[in-house]
Amino acid sequence: MSADADTQGWVGVRLLRKEDRRHLLGASTFTADVRVPGLLEVAFVRSQFAHGRLGAVAKPDGARVFSAEDFPHLKPIDGGPELPSFRAAPYHAFARDKVHFVGQIVAACLAPTRAQAEDLADQVGVEVDALPAVVDTVEALAPGAAILHDGFPDNAFIHATVTEGDIAAVAAAAPVALRRTFRMNRQATVSLEGRGVLAYWDHRLDELVVTLSTQGAHVMRIGLAMALGLPEHKLHLIAPDVGGGFGGKNRLMPEEVAVCALALKTGRPVRWIEDRREHLMASVHCREHHYDITLYATREGRLLGLKGEVHIDAGAYSLWPSGPFMEASMAARNLPGPYQMQALHVETHTVATSKAPMGPYRGVARPGACFAIERAVDELAHAIGMEPAEVRRINLVGPHQMPYRTIGGMQLDSGDYPQALERVREMVDLAALRRRQQAGEDDGRRIGVGFAVYTEQSGHGAAEWTKRKSRIVPGYESATARMLPDGTLLLLVGIQNHGQGLETSLAQIAAQELSLDPHAISVRYGDTALTPFGFGTFASRSIVFSGGAVARATRALADKARRIGAHLLQADVADTRLADGAVHGPNGKVSLAEIARAANVRQEFLPAGMPPLLDETATYEPEESGGFFSYGAHAAVVAVDPETGVTTTLDYAIAEDCGTMINPMIVDGQIIGGVAQGIGTALYEEIPYDADGQPLATTFGDYMVPCAPELPALRIHHLVTPAHGTEYGVKGMGEGGAIAPPAAIANAVSDALRDFGARIWETPLTPRRVSDAVAAACGDRSEDAV
Amino acid sequence: MTAITLTLNGDRVREEVEPRDILADLLRDRLRLTGTHLGCEHGACGACTVTLDGLPVRSCIVLAVMCDGRTVETIEGTRADATMDVIRRHFHEQHALQCGFCTPGMLIAARDIIARHTRPDEATVRRELSGQVCRCTGYMGIVAAIRAAAAELHPAPGADLRTPDLSTS
Repeated sequence: MSADADTQGWVGVRLLRKEDRRHLLGASTFTADVRVPGLLEVAFVRSQFAHGRLGAVAKPDGARVFSAEDFPHLKPIDGGPELPSFRAAPYHAFARDKVHFVGQIVAACLAPTRAQAEDLADQVGVEVDALPAVVDTVEALAPGAAILHDGFPDNAFIHATVTEGDIAAVAAAAPVALRRTFRMNRQATVSLEGRGVLAYWDHRLDELVVTLSTQGAHVMRIGLAMALGLPEHKLHLIAPDVGGGFGGKNRLMPEEVAVCALALKTGRPVRWIEDRREHLMASVHCREHHYDITLYATREGRLLGLKGEVHIDAGAYSLWPSGPFMEASMAARNLPGPYQMQALHVETHTVATSKAPMGPYRGVARPGACFAIERAVDELAHAIGMEPAEVRRINLVGPHQMPYRTIGGMQLDSGDYPQALERVREMVDLAALRRRQQAGEDDGRRIGVGFAVYTEQSGHGAAEWTKRKSRIVPGYESATARMLPDGTLLLLVGIQNHGQGLETSLAQIAAQELSLDPHAISVRYGDTALTPFGFGTFASRSIVFSGGAVARATRALADKARRIGAHLLQADVADTRLADGAVHGPNGKVSLAEIARAANVRQEFLPAGMPPLLDETATYEPEESGGFFSYGAHAAVVAVDPETGVTTTLDYAIAEDCGTMINPMIVDGQIIGGVAQGIGTALYEEIPYDADGQPLATTFGDYMVPCAPELPALRIHHLVTPAHGTEYGVKGMGEGGAIAPPAAIANAVSDALRDFGARIWETPLTPRRVSDAVAAACGDRSEDAV
Repeated sequence: MTAITLTLNGDRVREEVEPRDILADLLRDRLRLTGTHLGCEHGACGACTVTLDGLPVRSCIVLAVMCDGRTVETIEGTRADATMDVIRRHFHEQHALQCGFCTPGMLIAARDIIARHTRPDEATVRRELSGQVCRCTGYMGIVAAIRAAAAELHPAPGADLRTPDLSTS
């Protein structure tokens, strides 16, 4: 558990996690584990219709059943960018007038147990005058499509164009133009702990205490205060252990507003714990992009430009705070990937449909963009008879070109992208795979190899978020470092650890600055009454922003400790240094514990005029706030059975660069977990809707998450290019693993089935889709023969 | 209401339950043993795994009345179990958990896998874990931890006790 003897500090050490113990003992506290006396449980009555006019809600007599009419003063909770061209549709916690997706909340039933509350829900009658559902993302904008929201001229929240360079000139001159469509289907985020909220009025504190499974308690307080009409100091949010989020717990959701409103109305503690069916039906949904792109290139494989149209299926409403708009702009701006080209022109449409609202999910937009560009690059390579990896190599931005602004406007800061590609090419031994493909397999399966290169913007601050017109600008993080009288340390931070190991990583940073053992450091978060304001954990931002804030706060604390130490040692502060938990001077040393004692409880030992306490709060934002880009290359090797369409991942290699690693073990864990979710996107996970807008995957029997037998052992190679402009040279990296797998695996499947000419264009690549693609290709061929 | 008596983590427990009550709700809501987690409530994710008469079961699809006269052990009951301590240590060392929500069920399943397979190879561990969902780790650390714990608990004569290395670079 201690630092390697030969290391100089704690940054870069594979320190085992501080947060493991409680989980291993089964002694952690998730929201559903919190109980207060007199608790009432909520069962929601949800719309069974995808679209319709809401009539009367018939409630059993004398029962605690509530609907919109009981809460006339609740404010709607729709969000979105602050753009005049963005159309807002009011999103009420309890449906008013209309329902817009299956699972939308109509009423809430309260009883001492969930089972009893569900019994009540069975007795509630809901009249709905059904209207046509809008299900297909692209057809939703076709003339004559039913309009979902009153006052919308069409079913788009927003249309926007991302354009740079002269695409018409490129198109006119390009020797090769390759047009393809791609689709990434709808998913849920599927944290293993569902959402949950418990609320009660605390009379002693005169405040509403809300325990919430969230990625950012402080920001959710802003949203809840707005919706409930309460001042923020009357709202106390606590996020205890949070069992995964992946983006899905980073939006204000109607259940959360409803539970708070119910607690205020009944005067009783009220809680709702999401079940899996509710999660798959009515939690944050994600992905669902449709691409129609044309790639322009030379016959030698040089990319020239990209033109296209992107449809994002945002579902029925726009979730607070940022809505779905970023999805479209990020998809468009990331479409060129890490490749050099001269022009980009992308029309985007963020479309409203009769489905659950879209929110962020690990990778946000980039898995779709990466899938589209990387599939198109492979198609181009095949069209011109080149090795796909070679097309990538000649188009990648090189290390000597850094910093490099892509045609999508992303400022790639540093790194060696071609090197990452070369590493994974070696790791899977491309030449040997090509020989194996020629030899064929004994069992009739086909082997394929696919590559994908990705970038992951992290640590982007005010400049980037204001460009996105975000109504909350998460441009900084804050940290308080408080040394207690015995020299141990409390770190209070505004981020929300929910599996990322931040209790450990942030303690390592504080330990590095203060030369303390991480065991002497407690990291606290997830309580608006305890920690300084922060935006929470999402967008691969915590290690850059919160790590930076911790570094600054502890550095300020170390400076003051040195001044006190110098005074106690009767030395000049310039002659002192902090090491091994003590301030060392020319003639001896004094421990941090002694210094902390003086600062807290024995002020007579402080230098004259120095204020007491070792308690420093700092905020941090990198000077360059356009972001720092982690990147990497993935290579997937698959075996595909052309008849059954079953894909097996044989090998998976990753070469990535996230700058300096604070804890390499945690970095690897984030990569592996991200790739596992990316493989889920590639092969398994999907929430299809039927023509009436009914969701068809509402249990783990229908919604497939990858389990241990389906996943390969991953191989990881690290390149380390420390970022210029962040503390220690870190870059964020929590999402990158999930970005490239759909592209790499789809390219591998396509490669495996190249002889058939099967068209691989849509995730997840279920056995049915793959075998249908093979059958369709064979059918095409036999028709050609006739 | 039906009266049931069971042995829970070594103690005799008498409770009145409704016929429809599931074991997980009895454990969590009535007996406050919240280490048993509910991830799906339809028997698919394995987070709620406990043992019933020594065999792993999903407590979300076991009715409480079915446990009358039987023995149940939850994660809380394993705190003094030396075997489980070894497994816990390897989970810690192999970074086999992130958010921790699946961990109690994983541990119960892991102990059972090691008991039945003694020194399972990687494919066996992966196959045996097919009923336990982890959304964070991608399972590599969990597989490595189970194999390392098995090797420590059941050393082969002259066996190499080094734990498998998670990273490859």
